[in-house]
Order: sequence, then structure tokens, then C-alpha cells
Amino acid sequence: MVVGAGNPNPPAAPHVKALNCPGCGAALSLRSFTQAVTVVCDSCHSILDAQDPQLKILQQFKKATGEDPALIPLGTRGKIRGTPYEVVGFQRRTIHVEGIPYSWHEYVLFNPYKGFRYLTEYNGHWNDTATLRALPTLNPYARQVTVNYLGETYRHFQTAQASTTYVLGEFPWQVRVGEANEVTDYISPPRVLSSERSGKEITWSMGEYLSGRDLWKAFALPGEPPMPIGVYENQPSPFSANTKTIWTIFGAFLAFLLIMMVGFSASARDEQVFQGAYTFDTNSRGEASFVTDPFELKGHTSALELSTTTNVDNNWIYLNYALINQDTGQAYDFGREVSYYHGYDSDGSWTEGSRNDSVAIPSVPPGTYFLRVEPESDFAHGSIHYEVTAKRDVPQFSFFGIALLALLAPAALITWRSMNFEHLRWAESDHAPADSSSDSGGDDD
Amino acid sequence: MRNIYMIYGVIVLGLLGMAEYRGFSLASVNEVKNVPRSVRDNPGSYRSVYAVYHHYTGGK
Amino acid sequence: MTQPAANCPNCGAKIVFRWSSSVQTVCEYCKSILVRTDVDLKKVGQVADLPPNSSPIQIGTEGVYNHHPFVAVGRIIYEYDQGTWNEWHLVLNNGSAWLSDAQDNYVVTFAAPGRKLPPSAKVGQQYVWDNEAYTVSTITQAHYRGVEGELPFQYWDKEDVVFIDLMTEHGKFATLDYSDEAPVLYLGESVEFEDLKLRNLRSFEGW
Repeated sequence: MVVGAGNPNPPAAPHVKALNCPGCGAALSLRSFTQAVTVVCDSCHSILDAQDPQLKILQQFKKATGEDPALIPLGTRGKIRGTPYEVVGFQRRTIHVEGIPYSWHEYVLFNPYKGFRYLTEYNGHWNDTATLRALPTLNPYARQVTVNYLGETYRHFQTAQASTTYVLGEFPWQVRVGEANEVTDYISPPRVLSSERSGKEITWSMGEYLSGRDLWKAFALPGEPPMPIGVYENQPSPFSANTKTIWTIFGAFLAFLLIMMVGFSASARDEQVFQGAYTFDTNSRGEASFVTDPFELKGHTSALELSTTTNVDNNWIYLNYALINQDTGQAYDFGREVSYYHGYDSDGSWTEGSRNDSVAIPSVPPGTYFLRVEPESDFAHGSIHYEVTAKRDVPQFSFFGIALLALLAPAALITWRSMNFEHLRWAESDHAPADSSSDSGGDDD
Repeated sequence: MRNIYMIYGVIVLGLLGMAEYRGFSLASVNEVKNVPRSVRDNPGSYRSVYAVYHHYTGGK
Repeated sequence: MTQPAANCPNCGAKIVFRWSSSVQTVCEYCKSILVRTDVDLKKVGQVADLPPNSSPIQIGTEGVYNHHPFVAVGRIIYEYDQGTWNEWHLVLNNGSAWLSDAQDNYVVTFAAPGRKLPPSAKVGQQYVWDNEAYTVSTITQAHYRGVEGELPFQYWDKEDVVFIDLMTEHGKFATLDYSDEAPVLYLGESVEFEDLKLRNLRSFEGW
């Protein structure tokens, strides 16, 4: 289509309008050209009708002492999602929970082609917010109220009455200090859906969590962003993704561990290489020690399980064992105590100890060995019969248990930390767990 | 994060494999070297590390 | 496509129609509202000074909607208690559409005749058109504040009219226009600025 003959009176390129406040005469500028509905005079805090050429005064509010200034000054420009925006307005909104006021800040951002966006800030947590075009669906009958939007489910976090307690700059809607609207937040970290009800109308907006650091870079602001305090409603958890992967890896390790267990059990020789039966006469005063016949330990270096079975009854025997390599003169020296007591008292019959004992001598190289045994017991307590059995290459199951705990520990730790994080998150909501010590005060937006 | 865990797990399983293969044990066993052959003829001459343990210390 | 030409009955300036089916246009020179009859143009009114507005779209802006190229040839400026918005008249190859521009929120709608429409509605009520559930989101009372360019009908009525906006869960949009006795339904959807691929936009000082 051919564009027709040029317009003799083309509309002038819009420029930032310079005006004067009707209340105090101070200079005002409308950064959002004619799109602002309300503009606030910085000097006298008159709230003016920006659509009225006379800038009618709508409200005037008193600036309280000790005011917190906007962290991002009006007029600053920065890029959000690749589009440049200018900060044109700022407001502080307050809710009361159990009598305690909680406030957050909202910054109005403007781009003449893309329109308005908002930045909200609470305790150092930032969100990039914009009004929604499509409507979310409510699920009021679920156990906890949720809302669906674009395939994602958002859980109810908080409902509160929010009132504006401070305004500065321009707004694309009517603002009055003191007027309260019902605001409800639904979260699906890192996103949040907010509904704001004024009268019968509901406006939905969606926010996405933003790090102060990224924001400071985008707006080239000096200094550091404020330190975030606590966990914010839609703050993404640094643990959730890792928790899943770690448990999956643990599962793989567990499977591997089981395979190793089966493998070692099956491939161990578990071979009985020696057995001897002896009697220890506690009445005798002679030399009690003796040596056994030699026996062969074959295969690779492995554990040797030495079992002692006795017939002690309300008695004990202590055996000094030495496993001696006939050729190298290397000895493994250890002692085993076997005691067994039993009786009957007011609670019933009781037993203590055991008649049998088993120990694994570690890493015994192959070769020819014999045992030197020296028994000990109370003098003159009768005869004790005992049997000594040696088994070559027996798997040590205790190590599997230790390995399992070692693998479990990091997964359990990260799960615990993740649950802790979520606990902190929900402590600020309307659904705070009953045991949380902090009052269910919170924030919004 | 998960890479660290994977390396850690491989080390744990590696140590486990080594322990099982080499026959490690948790028992406290003293190694004595150069025991003379004469012990077979005179078992009483062997001075065990545990020889001082002559009294009973446990239970009823 | 022939471009009918005529002369402004008020000042004699040459009027060129970008769209052959235009019913009304505004003389760029003397701001007279001209209505096309079978023979020539008739002046029916005068446009007062347009309010200052900062829509990035202007007459002659081109773009694409749903793979169809379009040109903005006219607009109606509406005023309500919160300010103004523009309804841009778009001309595509196969007809015309409306691009609503309210604080840089863009919605494209097409006239959807042939449906039974309610005489009024309340916020929250639902209606089903074309298998989609539309819920009433806002009811606005507005009046005409100015016109510019070519429109497919006569419009310069200064009285308040009611517009009922409806939204769906998937970004579809509908408006019930009660300018005439019989309400008119427009169905469409919200669009992102980038998706329209607009060219020949206004420039803003400092941007």
C-alpha cells in the first residue's frame, strides 16, 4: 500500500513534558509522556492528576520523618529482558500482620514502546513484575488453594490488605496514599502470581525473582545491592535441583554397592583351614600356652576369620592368640575374651555375653601358619572346653554398612538443608508451620 | 555439586572394594615381627603383647 | 487496488483513501470529519485538537499479525476516568481489524457478527464463544475524544458508551461495544509488541 501524501501537521515527536506543580510551583517532568495517570510532586507531595492539563491536585500527604529513599533513583535507566526501561515512579506499600507493619517497595519502569513494568523489593529480595494478559484459573477446592497459569501450578502464600504509604513519581493508575487493596500471592518459585482487588476489579500480575546483583549491573548502580534477609516467598531454592540429582546418583551407588556385596560374597574362598578342640584345666598351674599344627593359607592376601566356641557357663576365658607365619616369622598378636553369664531376677531371666566369639585378622598374606594359644581364666573354676576354627578369605560385611552410611550422609545432609530452606520460606506465609517460632508475619508481592 | 558427590562416591566404593579384596578388618591386631622358630618347641617363651592382661575386666 | 481520490468539501485539499472501503476520514489539513457518500464527501463535523498522546503507533505504521501484513490507517481516541486509549483501525489484505493500544498493552480484535449478545454484563460473568470461555474482566465507560484517519464506519459521537472487556485463560480477548443500540462483539487476543513487527513507528525524544 502506498502511503499517501505527507501530513502537513505531523504529530510532534513526544518529548518529556516540563510542568509546574499547582501546589508549590516546583518543576515536574513527566517521563512517561502522556501515559501517566498520576504524578507526585517531589517537593510538596501533592498527588496530581496527570491526565488533566491543569494537573488537578487529588491528594496531599505528609512525608513522615526518617523516610527510606528509593534505592534506584527516578530517571535511572536499565535493561530488563533486553529492553531499556526508565524508573518513573516509586511507592511503598504496607501490610499489617498481628499488629506489626511490613513494607515493601515498588518501582514503576517505563518504555514508550513496551509500556510499564514493575520492580518490587522486600528485605533485599527483588522481583521483575508485569501485568498479565491471560487469566489464571483458580482451584479453590484443592486442599490448599492453588492457581494454574500456563501449565504451572501456584500455591497460595499470603493474602493481606496492602495500603500505599508513600509515593513518588508517575503511575499508570490512580494512586492514593492510605487506600488499601486486597493482595494475594501464589508462588511457584522462582515465579509468583499476584492478584490485586480494588473494588470489583481484579488485576493479575506475574513476578520473577531477580538477584539484586544482576539488577545493580543492569542499571549500572553504584555500590552494593541491599543484603537479602531470610528466604523470600518465590526465592528459588539452591537445593531443590541438587537434591533430586544426588538421590538419583545415590540410587546408582546403592545398586553398585549391592552388586559388590554379591560379588565379594560369591568370590570369597570362605575356606576352613584349621579346626582344633581343646580343654583348659583351670586347676593346673603349669604352662598353659601351646602351638597348633601348621596349616596352609592359599590365595591372595585376605582376612582370616578366627572363631572360638566355648562351653563357659557363668564363667569367662581369655585367649591370647598369635597367628605366626612359619617361614617369615611374622606374627599377628591379639586377645579374645569369651564370657557368658545368666541368671534369674525380678524382671525374669537374663543373659550376658556369649559362649562364642569371632574375629577377623586383617590382610594375612598367603603362607604356612600356626597358632600359638595361651588361655587364661579364674583359678580353680573347673575345665573349659573350647574349639578354635580358622576360615580363609571371609567377606567383611561391616564395611558395606560403613560405605552405605558414607554414601547416604551427603544426600541426607542436602535433603535436610533443602527442607530447612523451605521451612524458612513458608514461615513467612499464611500457612506457617505451627512450630515456627517467628510470628506468621510476612511480606507481599 | 553432583560432580563432587559422584567423585566422593566413587572414592568410597573404591576404598570399599580395596578393603574387601585385601581383607581389611576392624579388629585391633598387633603385628610382631621375627618370631623365632623356637616358639614351636617352647610356646611359653613367646612374649605376647597381651601377656599383661591377666585379669578379667567385664561383666558380672 | 484503486485508491479513490476526492476533494475536501471544506478546504478543497486532496483526500486520498488508503483503504477502498473507508466510510469516514479526517481531512489532515482542516480537521474536518468527512463521510463518504456515493458521489463525494460530506463534512459532518470537526475534530477538536487531539489530546496529547504517546502511542508509539502512528498513521502509516505497518506490521504483521498472524502472518498477515497490515497498515494502521485511522484511529479513535477514547477517554475514560483513568485516561485515554487508542483503537487503531488496521487494514489487512482480507479485511480490517482493530488494534487496541492502552498504555502499551496491545490487543488485536476482529468484528465477530452473528452471535447472540447480552444487553449488559457484570464482572466475573462468563460467556462462551467459539468454544472458549470468556470472563468479564472490566467494564469501562468511555466517550470519544477524537478521531484521525480512515474508519470503516461513521463515528464522532461524543456520548459515553459502555465497553465490556473479557479475557480467557489463554490470552484471548473480547470486547462488547455498546456504542449502538445493538451491541457489537469483537474477538481477538493480546499480542506482544515484538510479535507485531511494527515499522514506521513514532520516535520519542530521548529514546
